[in-house]
Amino acid sequence: MSLSERKALRSPPRRAYMWWLGLRRSLGFKYLVTLFTAVVLPLTMGAAGEAWFGYRDQSRHTSDVLQLQSRSAAERIDAFADEISDQLGWAVQFPWSDGSEGTHKMDALRLLQQVPAILSLVLVDQNGIERVFVSRTRLNVVGRGSDMSNDAAVLGAHANRVWYGPVRYEQDSEPYMRIAVARELATTGVAVADINLKLIWEVIAAIRIGKTGYAIVVDDAGRLIAHPEISLVLRGTAGSEDYQRLKQTLSGRGAATVTTVVAGEASIAAATSVSKLGWTVIALQPTGEAYAALRAGLWRSLVLICIGTLIAVALSYVLAMRMASPIRELEDGARRIGRGQFDHRITLSSGDELEKLAARFNEMAGELAASKQKSERINLLKRFLAPQVAELIETPQGLLEGKQHEVVVVFADLRGFTAFSSRADPEAIIAALREYYEAVGVVITAHEATLIQFAGDGVMILLNAPLACTDPARKAVQLAVDLQAAVQLLARGWSAKGYAMGFGVGIAMGPATVGTIGYEGRLDYTAVGSTVNLASRLCDLARDGQILVDFIVAERVAGSISTDFLGERAIKGFNGSTRIFAVTAGLQGPGSIGASGRGAGESALLPL
Amino acid sequence: MALLAGALAWPLAARAQEAARKRRILWLSTASSPDPFLDGFIEGLRAQGYVEGKNVIVQSRYSPGDPQGLRAIASELKAGDVDLIVSSGPATRAMIAVRDIPVLFAQSGDPVALGIVKSLAQPGTNFTGTTFLSLALAGKRVELLKDIFPKLRRLAVLSNRDHPGEPSEWKATQQAASALGIDALYIPFSGQGEFEAALKSVAETPADALLVFPEPVTMVNRGTIARFAAKQRLPSMFGWSEYCEAGGLLSYGANQRATYFLLAKYADRILRGERPADLPVVQPEKFELVVNLKTARLFGEDLDLSSILFRASRVLE
Repeated sequence: MSLSERKALRSPPRRAYMWWLGLRRSLGFKYLVTLFTAVVLPLTMGAAGEAWFGYRDQSRHTSDVLQLQSRSAAERIDAFADEISDQLGWAVQFPWSDGSEGTHKMDALRLLQQVPAILSLVLVDQNGIERVFVSRTRLNVVGRGSDMSNDAAVLGAHANRVWYGPVRYEQDSEPYMRIAVARELATTGVAVADINLKLIWEVIAAIRIGKTGYAIVVDDAGRLIAHPEISLVLRGTAGSEDYQRLKQTLSGRGAATVTTVVAGEASIAAATSVSKLGWTVIALQPTGEAYAALRAGLWRSLVLICIGTLIAVALSYVLAMRMASPIRELEDGARRIGRGQFDHRITLSSGDELEKLAARFNEMAGELAASKQKSERINLLKRFLAPQVAELIETPQGLLEGKQHEVVVVFADLRGFTAFSSRADPEAIIAALREYYEAVGVVITAHEATLIQFAGDGVMILLNAPLACTDPARKAVQLAVDLQAAVQLLARGWSAKGYAMGFGVGIAMGPATVGTIGYEGRLDYTAVGSTVNLASRLCDLARDGQILVDFIVAERVAGSISTDFLGERAIKGFNGSTRIFAVTAGLQGPGSIGASGRGAGESALLPL
Repeated sequence: MALLAGALAWPLAARAQEAARKRRILWLSTASSPDPFLDGFIEGLRAQGYVEGKNVIVQSRYSPGDPQGLRAIASELKAGDVDLIVSSGPATRAMIAVRDIPVLFAQSGDPVALGIVKSLAQPGTNFTGTTFLSLALAGKRVELLKDIFPKLRRLAVLSNRDHPGEPSEWKATQQAASALGIDALYIPFSGQGEFEAALKSVAETPADALLVFPEPVTMVNRGTIARFAAKQRLPSMFGWSEYCEAGGLLSYGANQRATYFLLAKYADRILRGERPADLPVVQPEKFELVVNLKTARLFGEDLDLSSILFRASRVLE
């Protein structure tokens, strides 16, 4: 256990906090991610899609509207010019004669009344001589007689019937232009009108595109002729570069509309030229308004996304909080059970899977308690029973039931014990037996054989039952060899004390009935049958240091352990004679075949 | 949620704050109350969304017929006292010294010549406004009077010498009169004090018609002049329609109320923060010829109404 862990154990609140932190990082976060994805992702995708398609539709729509408006404005400007030239046509209806100036002047004055945009009007006769001048601001003059035949307006009107002059700005501020009109019949002369272009304002100001969109008119140099905000027109050349650039961009790019910055405001623009005047009408709408609906939609989506996020966070928090308490309960319970507090029970009533989990935990605790009790009982049993048998308490009942089974039975006892016990004092006898049992017990445990019983100096050992093992014959012989080695070592000690005792072993293999026998309250596991008897007889026959085995054992161990055939012998309880073998390998001590160096088949060894 | 509500509330609060701030406009004039031009201006302000007493306070100072009397007021003004000065007519002259308060003017003379703006297109100073082209129209008025009253030979010209630009206006009138074969009889006076005497002088001249220059003193006394002209059987010509409404025979000039109405637009823009230096001086593009038919009937066959009526913008019955 590291130092920090020890510290953590010592301060439970801190540990609880760390645990809570961990939970917040994991569960709450996972909930948040899940809910966020479930709520916000579709909303965001929806908003993005709407924005994209909305933008496309809106730009197309805006473009259409602006083009339409610029065309319509251009038509109106065209009509404005046509209206003036049509009206001027009335002033050149009648041919000039000497006395006609009065009539012409009345016509001109009427025209002034008809067309508010005309500031002044000059009527020129067929020879290009100025005959009548009427004005709103200056004195009318009849018959001034100045020669205007080379005036551009007169020449233009004669050539094209209608002539539009360039825009000029009085005092660099107020825009004016001249329009001249002539009839086909040259005798009616020419009418040249000075037009105050500020009156186009009424045409332009009437154009409203959306709430903030508008139309403007610029001349070929980009100078403003008309703008809903008249003061911009009067401001002179200021800003004409911007309009010129916009005009060129629009005509140069060939695109229907262009988005640009006009008068410090990002706007969408479309242009139509009024070719006969050399002017351009530009319809403009600030992008702010054009995409206002779109932006409003995006804001709505954003608000929804924000609300969704808040809901996701709140839900994750609530869920995580609701999970936290039962999980803490579970964890605490698991920790207590893990520490061995098997009687601890977790009480949860969340009604969900966690409650089921708690029930499983409780069942597990119960089973763990039962299992612990059982293993404690087995450990207790092992002190009285052969471990293998004690373990069998765990196994299905059938294994301990009486049944025919092939077993290897080993019998062993001390030679000369009876004599010893009659001579020696009880303390010495018990001490010798304790040494003997201890030595035998160690060897049995080491070979995982089943000790059936100690009876005085005799011992009965079973192999291949109740638990089957591989090659039980060889194991039995090996066990016997080790027993011999262990007991002979003791025997040497005893002989030093003056007690002569030997040790013989008999082994037989074959079917036997194994199972528990006894009565209610005291049951023993044992084996009965001829094999047991045979082993017992062989043990009786064996001399000190000798291991006698039957034919089956000898045959089974033939490959690995050498045995000597000692001859045939009739044994009580057995029909016919029984072949007897003695183990010759690995034996030491007095009487042992290998150690004594006596040859195989020495019948003298068989005092039969 | 609170954050959202706050974000929504903020612009409203800002707007409320702006609305709560009252703008102060000082109206200076050499005319006198009641002032139809001030009414026109306030009407214009109302059209721009201003309500007197609520978000704008218009204070007026009159010094009838005496621009010098306004000079003292102008010299006492400090930046921040008022947001805007509107000077009507010759009052502008008294404002020349004002440098740090925007001044809107409405005057007949040339503001470039007066030195208050650098050019009509870009004033470049704290002054801007409208100019009425009075000078250009001076001759036109003589011509129109001659048209309606062809017998016109001797024309009495009533002129307040205190009015800025008066000499050039008289000169333009004189030139027009001589071009039309009319004797112009110059009857000058200085301010309100000499007005009554001036009328007497007119009565004493052999004039057969009367021309009155548009300016505050004659404007204030327009009713008196109209009655005088009717009594003296003098066809009369004026600069503004208000004279005709008071009984004058003819008037020719820009519509003053309309001009002050438009001036209120400039006032709004300046109050919103635009600089007068960037606002071009506006000239009227429409001139109205007003005929008072009731007055015309006094003269019977002497007047050639047919030569004028078809040109009239308004005919008063």
